[in-house]
Amino acid sequence: MEYRLLRAVYSSVAGAVLAVTGCFLQSSFRNPLVDHYILGIGSGALFFTYTTVFFYGYNPFTVALAAAMGGLISLLLTVLIAEKISGSDVAYVLAGISVTTLFSGLSTFMLYYVQVKYPYASVLMAGSFILSRPQILPYLLVPVVFVSLGYPLLAKRLNVLLLGDENAQQLGVDPRLTRLASALIAGLSSSIIVCLFGLIGFIGLIAPHIARFLIKTSDNRLIIPLSASLGMILLYSADLFSRTVMAPIWGEIPAGSIVSLFGAPFFIILLITRFTGRKT
Amino acid sequence: MISIKSLRVFYKQPGIEALQGISLELPANNVTCVVGPNASGKTTLLKAIAGMLNYEGSIYIDGKEIRNYMNYLRKILSYAGNIEPSADYLGARVIDVLLASRYPVARGFSDTREDLEEIHRVSRILNIEHLLHRKLSELSSGELQRVVIASALVKNPRILLLDEPDNHLDVAGKLWLSKYLNKLSETLTIVVSTHDVVFAFHTCDYFVVLSSGKILYHGWRDDLIQSKDYIEQAYKTPFIKVEANGKFILIPLYET
Repeated sequence: MEYRLLRAVYSSVAGAVLAVTGCFLQSSFRNPLVDHYILGIGSGALFFTYTTVFFYGYNPFTVALAAAMGGLISLLLTVLIAEKISGSDVAYVLAGISVTTLFSGLSTFMLYYVQVKYPYASVLMAGSFILSRPQILPYLLVPVVFVSLGYPLLAKRLNVLLLGDENAQQLGVDPRLTRLASALIAGLSSSIIVCLFGLIGFIGLIAPHIARFLIKTSDNRLIIPLSASLGMILLYSADLFSRTVMAPIWGEIPAGSIVSLFGAPFFIILLITRFTGRKT
Repeated sequence: MISIKSLRVFYKQPGIEALQGISLELPANNVTCVVGPNASGKTTLLKAIAGMLNYEGSIYIDGKEIRNYMNYLRKILSYAGNIEPSADYLGARVIDVLLASRYPVARGFSDTREDLEEIHRVSRILNIEHLLHRKLSELSSGELQRVVIASALVKNPRILLLDEPDNHLDVAGKLWLSKYLNKLSETLTIVVSTHDVVFAFHTCDYFVVLSSGKILYHGWRDDLIQSKDYIEQAYKTPFIKVEANGKFILIPLYET
């Protein structure tokens, strides 16, 4: 019973955090195509998690630190490559994919060695809540605190940032500082989720889009809380589906895979509408 | 009101001096037009006055050097150029843009009644009240231009800088804008940059003619019409003087 409750709480909270990081990233980069997974933050955090486990074993504290560092390093790498290409929204996707490919390859390679020291390492590959232990609760609170502080500080500034860097500057919002703060909060928060539960893509991408579709606005003061609720519902349902429907048939499929199953087609539709001139 | 002394602006990329030592005073409660060919420094001048660029020399508004009074400046001065096209990818509606444009004067996290009242007042005047809940991507370029002007007006500024506000407007739209700016200038100081010299002569009382980052002429409209060499020199195009409704204007002569 206690395990089930913890698992429900963990999956909902992780869903909410990932959805909010998606809002921060999309608004601050003014790019509807990104989330922590697309930008390479997730795979960078995963690789650093594996590396740390390999050297020091699975200690939540050191692993969380390493994941946060890995997430930020890969985000920086993506930004540098994307700005080198053209800085457009599609350049960010391309740069993110290349960074993701790099770190995913390295992670797969590491996994062989890490599994010896930490048998559950493979669970992190696809994002699962099967390891909902009470000890990790304090670590889950860190991203919750980050995004809850970020919301009141950044929501209005991100709305202004939507008007363009020059306009934002004239209105008294420092575009670089706002972008840096959003990227830091989103990067740190999503990285910690990755080291606790693994790679869960697309929640951060889909939830803000559904929120914008539902209430027809770009106002982050409304979009962020609504996305958080949607992310909560989506990831909780995915996990519920995984342990109730899938488990008896095939054995438990990780929640992250189920989300990807729905998220990937969504991303494809998003890309297509973006390129046929229709704005989503 | 606005007083500029030996203003210089450099762009590191591509390494040009966009304004090369400009000194002038702009009259209060008037519409000033900044005209000149492409790359003459019109937009740069407006952005410098708005405090959006690093500059050498000095710009005084109400006797205060603007560098030291940016927070004050943000409340009393608006600059409207264009809205970043990416805003519509994230589903921004007109009202989202207008609310964000009130940032320097809006208090607190939530919108107040005053914020909404001011937005409705301005959008009624600009005839975009029916568009408030539409997405930017659904607007025509003429409607979008009105939204840009509205975004500058919603914080109720005393100084209004408009970068090519007549872009994308048809003849009727330009005529309306011309009359509207003149009405606004009873209480506001307005500086407009434009490519349309005919629009400028219909709208503005005071002129600044720029060419390659230098001032060719600054002064009242009627004096400029008397000595049309300045404008001919700036555009390297002959102009003729025509009379319309008892007013003289200069129009470019496209035939050679």
